[in-house]
Amino acid sequence: MSFNFEFFYQTFFTAFRGLPVTLKLTAFSLLISLPLGFLFAVIRLKERSKVKNLVSVYISFVRGTPIVVQILVIYSLIPSIMASIFKGLDIKMNVFDINPMLYAYIVFSLNTVALLSEVFRSALATVEKGQLEAAQAAGLTTFQGYRRIVIPQAMVAALPNICTVTTNLIKSTSLAFLMTVKDITAVAKVEAAYGYNYIEAYIVIWIIYIIICSLVEILFKLVEKRMKVYKRALVS
Amino acid sequence: MIEVKNVHKSFGKNEILKGVDLKVEKGDVVVILGPSGSGKTTLLRCINFLEMADQGELLFKGESYHFQHASKKDILNIRKRTAFVFQNYNLFSNKTALENVTEGLIIARKVSKNKAVEIAKECLNKVGLADKYDSYPSQLSGGQQQRVGIARAIAVNPDVILFDEPTSALDPELIGEVLSVMKLLAKEGTTMIVVTHEMSFAEDVASKVVFMDGGVVVEEGTPKEIFCNPKMDRTKQFLRRIIRNYDYSI
Amino acid sequence: MREFDYRYIYRYLPEILPFLGVTFLTVIASVVLGIALGFILAVGKLGKNKIGRFLANGYTTILRCTPSIVLLFVVYYGLPELMMGLFRIDINDIEKGIFVVLTFSLLFAATMSEVMRSAYESVDRGQLEAAVSVGMTPLQAFYRIILPQAFYVALPNFGNSVIALLKDGAVGFTIGFIDVMGKTNLIVSLNYGAHSREIYLGLALVYWIISMVLEYVMKSAEKSLGKGRRILKTN
Repeated sequence: MSFNFEFFYQTFFTAFRGLPVTLKLTAFSLLISLPLGFLFAVIRLKERSKVKNLVSVYISFVRGTPIVVQILVIYSLIPSIMASIFKGLDIKMNVFDINPMLYAYIVFSLNTVALLSEVFRSALATVEKGQLEAAQAAGLTTFQGYRRIVIPQAMVAALPNICTVTTNLIKSTSLAFLMTVKDITAVAKVEAAYGYNYIEAYIVIWIIYIIICSLVEILFKLVEKRMKVYKRALVS
Repeated sequence: MIEVKNVHKSFGKNEILKGVDLKVEKGDVVVILGPSGSGKTTLLRCINFLEMADQGELLFKGESYHFQHASKKDILNIRKRTAFVFQNYNLFSNKTALENVTEGLIIARKVSKNKAVEIAKECLNKVGLADKYDSYPSQLSGGQQQRVGIARAIAVNPDVILFDEPTSALDPELIGEVLSVMKLLAKEGTTMIVVTHEMSFAEDVASKVVFMDGGVVVEEGTPKEIFCNPKMDRTKQFLRRIIRNYDYSI
Repeated sequence: MREFDYRYIYRYLPEILPFLGVTFLTVIASVVLGIALGFILAVGKLGKNKIGRFLANGYTTILRCTPSIVLLFVVYYGLPELMMGLFRIDINDIEKGIFVVLTFSLLFAATMSEVMRSAYESVDRGQLEAAVSVGMTPLQAFYRIILPQAFYVALPNFGNSVIALLKDGAVGFTIGFIDVMGKTNLIVSLNYGAHSREIYLGLALVYWIISMVLEYVMKSAEKSLGKGRRILKTN
């Protein structure tokens, strides 16, 4: 076996060119998904309506299908939708000129919203009813009770799961190359094929993913530590 | 019949037992009293090797064991001839009341299944749970769970039963049912070592009361000697504090 | 651009569905191998040996941070080179499914080791003490008392992990593995991409249904095994 260290070394820096794309995808999808996921969680906890059913079906679909398949469906479905929108609004723009990043944002946001809404839902359920009642008894409105008491407590319960969703999101973005997005994995694939140095290239990005995900986990652990005091006191 | 000598046990730098001696004859009901942290529960757990004592000797039915180098086989043998009733019951939550009792018979003592069920039913009847054979622990009240715990202990016909604060996790109205079962056992001549805060039990049933504090035995004697005429200041202090809160309703 | 034609959603299903066998087979093989390796890892994590703990935890951390497609590529391109280099054995021509199974066994083992560890730790220590106090050996106590309870605790996580494995396994097509996903992709390329959205949507529905069935099976299993759970706290 001949392991090409020079190539390994070079690829390390080349692959880093894809890093901003990976991080942008992750950050942007999270930014969209956090508020939307929370909204969906509240809808599923409270309302009894068609909206709730719709949200439930959507979440079940996302949870029940592979992200690869979601990517392929969206990537083949969105252009035709876009085309009809452009046609309707009389915009002269070719759908194939759209930056593939847009598709990626849509896919990963749709996916993450569903996963986060599940996280928030179970987190809200862990907060005892008595907490809201106590808040109301203290003269807070229901909204204030949620905002100041229930949600902060629910966030503590949700944090470890948000961390899992985030690392899973980072890992999922490795499939963005299917939409011709040039993330870390895509860059490595190109480099690998160029000189038949497959194994070196993939070990490089493996290491990069391990570093990114570990950093994210450490970050969440730090935040968790700071928020620990909110945890429910044990009644003995 | 059972005797421990010079038991020492530390958890880290914290020395819990500082050389405890205890002697129990057949048919004795020994009640160990003492403030929390005095080491009474640790002593009990050491006797059943649930904790490994750092030093000391155990004489059991004429045989001598050293706590720090008892073999696995010795430990298993001692456990097979003793029984333990836990403060928080520790019923096997995946087994019914009946199965909780048969488990030790069938698995550890190789009793045939039919025989084990027969014994188990007898024991459960004795503790007043004839109608709860097939209930799971989650379906029983605390008092009922603890009575299953006692049935589990007597089923194996042990030489001695160790009770570790058997009523302290129970609501006051459920304590009576457990204590009356224990009194019944005492009357039948069961050898028992009981750690408890129930003074009435100690007064009525104990053949010997042992007062522990700070990891040593401070004083021991008959209930009369300890309750009516304690010699040591620490015993007096403890009893004054306890008796004040003592509920005679049982 | 062609109109959306819903008939294409099910048109190719008769060709695709037979490959469910391949998909299930890879999942089952990965589950079996993953449980075996996961058990060893869990023992390492719970054991007293420092090196064992470090290795088991390190393995889990690294694999948790590994995208399945990256590990698949590493195994697919790396293993043949490794075998060639170390043993002069040429495995370039072996079944692609073996690389897929190997990859997902490694990933599943990491998940399983965590599921098993946390399930074991969730069983109250008092259960073990009670078991030895009635005279069982620690080994008897483990498989008569601890294991059944831990198994029940682990069940929901195990079910979720299997469903996740089924979904993750779909990336096998990127090395040319032909399961339901691979077959679908093949059909799409044979059609030069025409009606790809409908065909992929059909596949999505297939996965969706399987996931829901698995979830249902898992819930029922949980219910029927739910006897004797939850001790009433009396204090």
